[in-house]
Amino acid sequence: MKFRIFRSAEDQTGAGPVDPTETPRMGGQVLPEVTPSKARAGAEPRLEDATPVSNATVVDSPPVGPIKIAARDVSVFYEGKQALYDVSLDIPDKTVTALIGPSGCGKSTFLRTMNRMNDTIAGAKVTGRIAMDDEDINDRSIDPVLLRARVGMVFQRPNPFPKSIYENVAYGPKIHGLVSSKAEMDDVVEKALKRAGLWEEVADRLQSSAMGLSGGQQQRLVIARAIAVNPEVILMDEPCSALDPIATARIEELIDELRERFCIVIVTHSMAQAARVSQRTAFFHMGRLVETGDTEDIFQNPRERRTLDYITGRFG
Amino acid sequence: MTDATPDRIDGVAAKGRLDRLRAGLKRRHAKETRFKWYGRLAIAAAMLFLAVLLVRIVEQGHTAFYTHTVTVPVYMDPARIDRAYPQGSNFEQLAAEQQLARMGIQDDAAGTRAAQMKRLFSSELKFVAADLVSKRSEVIGETVPLAVPLSDDADLYLKGEISKDTPEDQRRLTDQQIAWLDRMQTEGVIGSHFNTALFTNGDSTQPELAGVLGAVVGSALMLMVTALIAIPLGVGAAIWLEEFAPKNKLTDIIEVNINNLAAVPSIVYGLLGLALFINWMHLPRASPIVGGLVLALMALPTLVIATRSALKAVPPSIREAALAMGASKTQTVFSHVLPLAMPGVMTGAIISMAHALGETAPLLLIGMVSFVPGVPAAIDQPVGALPSLIYIWENASERAFHERTAAAIIVLLVFMIIMNAAAIILRRRFERRW
Repeated sequence: MKFRIFRSAEDQTGAGPVDPTETPRMGGQVLPEVTPSKARAGAEPRLEDATPVSNATVVDSPPVGPIKIAARDVSVFYEGKQALYDVSLDIPDKTVTALIGPSGCGKSTFLRTMNRMNDTIAGAKVTGRIAMDDEDINDRSIDPVLLRARVGMVFQRPNPFPKSIYENVAYGPKIHGLVSSKAEMDDVVEKALKRAGLWEEVADRLQSSAMGLSGGQQQRLVIARAIAVNPEVILMDEPCSALDPIATARIEELIDELRERFCIVIVTHSMAQAARVSQRTAFFHMGRLVETGDTEDIFQNPRERRTLDYITGRFG
Repeated sequence: MTDATPDRIDGVAAKGRLDRLRAGLKRRHAKETRFKWYGRLAIAAAMLFLAVLLVRIVEQGHTAFYTHTVTVPVYMDPARIDRAYPQGSNFEQLAAEQQLARMGIQDDAAGTRAAQMKRLFSSELKFVAADLVSKRSEVIGETVPLAVPLSDDADLYLKGEISKDTPEDQRRLTDQQIAWLDRMQTEGVIGSHFNTALFTNGDSTQPELAGVLGAVVGSALMLMVTALIAIPLGVGAAIWLEEFAPKNKLTDIIEVNINNLAAVPSIVYGLLGLALFINWMHLPRASPIVGGLVLALMALPTLVIATRSALKAVPPSIREAALAMGASKTQTVFSHVLPLAMPGVMTGAIISMAHALGETAPLLLIGMVSFVPGVPAAIDQPVGALPSLIYIWENASERAFHERTAAAIIVLLVFMIIMNAAAIILRRRFERRW
């Protein structure tokens, strides 16, 4: 369950775990003053023994359902400098997992290990094991090109190709040879654009430039481009940070719809967004995974003092 | 913030602050205005230099674009023409004597007047007449009109470049010759027209017969070789260095060397070409293939640097987008990065080609300043090139070559403008406007 601010009233009054009187929200942000006291009580005794965070803290709230990606002791080094320390995290399928944490905490670095985008950075080294469906994606036998056809990615800034809308969406299926005819391609493009909620806005101008779209439309186009190859996982690196609230709301709705078909991992700076769109949340700090669990638990009953401080806005 | 203006925002201090701000603002605006004027001055100075250069060249060169022709009826005297070997006959003497007779002038015993008249005709007369006789021997015994260029000095006089006021011993035409020219012009024997010879002939020792076609063809052939070698190699090397090469000591050394090579004086490339292509590989001296290779070597570093900076300017988000879609490195580069960098690559190519076209120093060393008459047709024959033709003509002693030098410069500039225009059109095509 999750709490949202752009959802209908029945959603909020539904069997939500949160009693609005207990956790008042402002702009989706959980206010520090009214954080449930049991969370604070739970966090206090751990202060002394919990640093540095061991992987033991991670396991006590395991996800339900099949695991899509299992990361074990993943560390990332950029030219010898360690950016990520022994992260072990299970990411369930058909779920939105949010990675949160202050800037430079390693959440984007971790995200990029899952489609091996760190390979493209000179001097980057990844250790540990990341298994997707029990297959080590860092194995020599895995071609990153194939991996990226299975794991799509959406970036912080909308980055459509400077080509037509149609060409953008058709690019993935074309290079991977997924379609055999023009008609089939038209169909794939239409489906992807419909699924990304962009079809109605661009149906009559598929051949015009993608650069003429608004920021929010571009980001949905990029999502359409990613889902056109029918990936298993979609990684999103702060997909709404360059967008206005209305465009953000549309993307968030879209993420919620896509969750039924894909395993989604989203990095976000916005606590409210994590709360709204994700079912699982992982909190990173200083290159380490501090805490992970159901989003609801993380936001209401964080076990770690640092998590509490971060989600209540005391730092970060 | 100084002591005089405290940080407090009470009435007085705030007023003082505002005054200071105003005073400062005035200074800042004045600085901006001054800078704008410096800019305008710099542009104006540059335009002035350019205008002076162009005006000077056009002023000097425009007379080369027309020329004077004399049309004389020549009686092909059977007694003085060698049927077996018409080239050996003295047609010029024949024409000169007959022209004198027509003008009612008696030659002296030594024949000095005929000799003087002869010097007004271009030596082409002999070839035109011999050609006619050997092709149509029936003209012997008849009178045929022959149209030939005036000699360079006669032409210069009619263009006003040789003045009657100059003492006779200081000009190349005698008073008598000048009087004849004036008379022939009023009689309509001499006419002026566009100088087609300048564009249809190769180089010649006779200014009135010299043309730039040989050099234009030579330059074009050379540039073709240069473009065919330098553009694929340079762009390829840049793509590899920028997109594929690992960053290590070796690639660092390569990069430093490319940057250094771009600064090597072009004459050194000429030496390299002489040693490598002529002395070692025994390629034909002064041929477009050698010239093209040398210019390609010279153009490569500039091209590599320009291409690399064009590739660098492509936003990394495009690379990431393509890679994250599962495009291979090659697909990313060739279908996304390179098309976006294409306008920059084209500009680099144009600049280096234009540079190569105007380069003279390396050509000196591979023998391209030698006199090459005629128009070449193959890349392994000796040719001239436009810049070296300009160099040769500028050094020629005949005055008539001076105006032709300026004309050749105009031709070179037009050649460059055409090239650049073509390149701009090409670039527009490549540049997908969105």
